[in-house]
Amino acid sequence: MKTDLLQMVESGGCSAKISPQLLEEFLRYLPLPQDPNVLVDIDTHDDAGVYRVNDDLALVFTTDFFPPVCSDPYEFGQIAAANSISDVYAMGGTPVIALNIMMFPASKLPMEAYSEILKGGSDIAEQAGVRIIGGHTIDDFPPKYGLAVVGYIHPDKIITNAGARPGDLLILTKPLGTGVILAGQRMKMASEDDVDQAKKLMKILNGPGAEVMKKYNIKGATDITGYGLAGHALKMAKASSVSLELNLAKVPLIGSTYRLVDEGCIPGASFRNLDFVENDSHLRPDLNYSLKMIAMDAQTSGGLLMCVKPDISDQVISDLQKAGHEQSAVIGKVTEKGDKFLYLK
Amino acid sequence: MQIVDTKGQQCPAPLIATKRALKEAHTGESFQIITDNLTSFNNISRFLKDNKTEFSSGESNGVWTLTITKKTSEPVTAEPEKYCAGKIPLFTMGDFVIAFTSDKMGDGDEELGHLLMSNFIKAIKDLDILPRKMVFYNKGVTLGAVESPVIDHLKEIEKMGVTMLLCATCVKYYSLEEKINIGTLSNMFEIAQIMASASNVVKP
Repeated sequence: MKTDLLQMVESGGCSAKISPQLLEEFLRYLPLPQDPNVLVDIDTHDDAGVYRVNDDLALVFTTDFFPPVCSDPYEFGQIAAANSISDVYAMGGTPVIALNIMMFPASKLPMEAYSEILKGGSDIAEQAGVRIIGGHTIDDFPPKYGLAVVGYIHPDKIITNAGARPGDLLILTKPLGTGVILAGQRMKMASEDDVDQAKKLMKILNGPGAEVMKKYNIKGATDITGYGLAGHALKMAKASSVSLELNLAKVPLIGSTYRLVDEGCIPGASFRNLDFVENDSHLRPDLNYSLKMIAMDAQTSGGLLMCVKPDISDQVISDLQKAGHEQSAVIGKVTEKGDKFLYLK
Repeated sequence: MQIVDTKGQQCPAPLIATKRALKEAHTGESFQIITDNLTSFNNISRFLKDNKTEFSSGESNGVWTLTITKKTSEPVTAEPEKYCAGKIPLFTMGDFVIAFTSDKMGDGDEELGHLLMSNFIKAIKDLDILPRKMVFYNKGVTLGAVESPVIDHLKEIEKMGVTMLLCATCVKYYSLEEKINIGTLSNMFEIAQIMASASNVVKP
């Protein structure tokens, strides 16, 4: 019997993340570790934490797990693993080891699905050169899967979301729309081609993008996941004390994303993200509604958003395209801090 | 009054139903959307407010009813093509029009002609100044059909704010009524007027 994981969830992937507003509110009361070796912590809401071991080595540490985003257990494992490892790449690190984190309803689903998920995760880990050295499974419904990943990084070469500088151009390495397409799939509105395209993109590791960032000594980046392009851009603007200006018409989209949103296929997470960003954002009054909601779309295993000096942006784009991120594009720029952190036009 | 019952449906199905009903309703007409999903209720309310659509709502026993009236000026639903075109003036528009008269570019080998046309359309996206309008007639209308190899590029150009008009007679002649995926259908008078009033007409 083939297991269809998608039948078990209302919101899959990073759409299932807790509201960023709620998180921000409660994380404030959590004491931050006072340790000079902690180089990056939740203070700046970055992709991963970083801990200095010695002058030449720091560890990037991150975790991410979520409910199914697709029907096939093997593909779900691949996507969840790529998404987890992505946070290490976003910081400029090299992922090395990982632990499986799994919740699986052993009495409700055949155990073949369990091993298929793990197989998918392990195949992507191998592709990234990551050794999975253990893990933990809880009996729970619906299933959830992801990795906790450790990577190496040089303490002086950390790429953070606090590294955006006025004048930088913003480059996005993957098209947007995974949240919309996945919802459209459940609604039977998305074509098979859309879904295939989205799944293919979600399995693509951000490793090659990270290599390009290292080559050009890029200091500011984040990966686009559950808070959508606008949410992650806002976090970056706040962490860097600058404003980000996004030109939404320039953002590459997956297949029928625009049409689906225009027909009302807007996942719940988009409204959550809109609530999160709107107070800190200036939305051009004539901003196209569908484009605005696409900027709020929660991405699963999304691309990197990197801050690049204008004089090298053409080279960076060309390198990214050669490295397999064909749809990389300049989608905005960083400016001095204005009235608002985020300007959407 | 039309009532759309979306009870039991999860997000975003109720919103899609709302959008659909809004599109089908006549100006001034009211309809009701019923949902038992709080998230969907909140999201529909937010969507309506953002789009300046009047509505009232009530709740009883975990079931929400939204009564929505389609207003005269309903930008999102009235003419989505125009809305998209008029509302994103992010790109510089030149006072020129591109006329697509064929699915090929230039005379000569057929395969090469198709390839050149495809490259030409892709190149439009990178122009510093975009055409104000693009018109399609004769075999040119086939470029705008679903199965056209350049349809995604054309949609993207449309999204950038370029108005696209297709000759309705030609669309009918090639039996593409159900397949056209861009722009609006137009008549020869309008097409002639557009070309005559542009300071420049580019023909690939």
